[in-house]
Amino acid sequence: MTSTPSADRWIGYLNTVLLMVAGIIVVAPTLWMVLSSFKFSHEVTAYPPTLFFTPTLTNYVSLWERTPFIQYGINSAVVTSASTALGILLGTPAAFVVSWTRITWPAIVTLLARMAPGTLFLLPWYLMFRQIDMIGSYWALILTHAVITMPIVIWVLLPFFDNIPRSIFEAAQVDGCSPIRVFYRIALPLVSAGLSVSSILAFVFSWNYFLFALVLSNSDTKTLIAASFNFIGEGSTNWGALMAAATLIALPPLVLAIIVQRWLVSGLTLGAVKG
Amino acid sequence: MDTSNSQKAQLAALSAPSVIFTVVMIAFPFCYTIWISFQAVSATGMMRFDGVANYVRMVKDGQFWNGLWITIYLYVLSLTLQLVCGTALALLLFRARRLPGFIRSLFISPFMLPPVVAGMMWLIILDPSLGAANYILTSLGLPPSNWLASPALVVPTLALIDTWQWTPYVALIVLGGLQSLPPSVYEAAEIDGASRTRTLFRITLPLLLPTLVTAMVLRSVDLLRFFDLIYITTQGGPANASTTLNIYGFRMGFEFFQFGYAGALMITLSALVLGVVLALNRLRNAVAW
Repeated sequence: MTSTPSADRWIGYLNTVLLMVAGIIVVAPTLWMVLSSFKFSHEVTAYPPTLFFTPTLTNYVSLWERTPFIQYGINSAVVTSASTALGILLGTPAAFVVSWTRITWPAIVTLLARMAPGTLFLLPWYLMFRQIDMIGSYWALILTHAVITMPIVIWVLLPFFDNIPRSIFEAAQVDGCSPIRVFYRIALPLVSAGLSVSSILAFVFSWNYFLFALVLSNSDTKTLIAASFNFIGEGSTNWGALMAAATLIALPPLVLAIIVQRWLVSGLTLGAVKG
Repeated sequence: MDTSNSQKAQLAALSAPSVIFTVVMIAFPFCYTIWISFQAVSATGMMRFDGVANYVRMVKDGQFWNGLWITIYLYVLSLTLQLVCGTALALLLFRARRLPGFIRSLFISPFMLPPVVAGMMWLIILDPSLGAANYILTSLGLPPSNWLASPALVVPTLALIDTWQWTPYVALIVLGGLQSLPPSVYEAAEIDGASRTRTLFRITLPLLLPTLVTAMVLRSVDLLRFFDLIYITTQGGPANASTTLNIYGFRMGFEFFQFGYAGALMITLSALVLGVVLALNRLRNAVAW
């Protein structure tokens, strides 16, 4: 560059300072949520807001005592795990076939679910599930959440299958291996990393999804995310408990995201970007 | 590769479950919504063919045009903020080179949060009377704001929250693009004595355009369907000032049970999303290098 080395160094410092400011902006709101969840109720609405305080677990205890938080948590866990499993079961062989045959249209149709607004699907699903009396059932939630998870699994796994050298498949075929055997004996073990990434991403997105459970669950099957809406109604008087609920709901996706962070960007962009 | 009939049958068997699922849960419902958008649907689900009545009603409905305007306003504002901030953040991260793993995790954290949780935390931060945001403003000598409670500010505030949540995501995409740029162009620029700003605007940013368009596609799809954050924080208020098409369609469907009209609104919104994605795809082909 044309600039002198000392100018270079100053730009380096400036860069670091700006990055720290950006980091603070990124982290501060989440940190504030966590801090507020450990405050007594008079402290959490104190004005001016306090940064230093005596921490308490009252808010978490009140969630336990006053709301069916555990039940909602179990509902979320059931719906999320089952829809992730279903997404993997359906999506993995599909991704293998797309990679093998290069026929991509079935995978492209699943992108409809990513482009159309959720309400568009919710209208016919609601009418369909009402007809067969399934509204409020776990199955209605699992099936609809699989519409989120399956496309994620297909598109995240596709590059992993594409990366397997074709010669391995061809050799197996020469040895008389049928496509189904190639799939589960050869290809599946080679994409095990992709399987963990796609199941974690599918889990996070299913866990975070709000709209379907908002309409299709009832008081027995309500997921944590859908129940958040009720917490806000009650939380207008109790910010501490609201933030405790928010912290607990956010915990699983945050922990999982940190585990897969290396693959996160390419996974989230459905392979459009190599992270 | 030689594909015999038995091979074809096996491949079909492997893909059959997902194809059936896609048809039943995605393709059929999509077509069903197109169909009900031409029906008068009663709350009990009785349907009667109604021609284009729902679409005629839509064109005459002031709330539809209001929703369309809010959708586009929120979209353009958020997308611009996220692209500018995201690119700036990516340039900072790129220059820093070595990035400890936990710092990277910090930058990932906002967009892994459920949007619903982001809404909950910002509700208390932006509370007009007790929130931390107004405390910071007033201690800096600035006037406090009503944020989400103000009809004039609710859309910019939602755009700010979404920008907080998704800027790091855009930044990581752009960072990937920066890291894949050939170093040779920088060396050539350096030899030619190009200044920093010149290198940035004449070399780096033009070469980044394809990556930026990819980021735009990915964000557009989400931003045009903006729902969770609005529903959690304002439910479309105050005074419908944040009622996007998606919120309006949802309320028509599940508060007023006018499924036919809600269907017409959702088909229109999908057409808008598809149009934007196709336009951006053209743009991507135009800027490819």
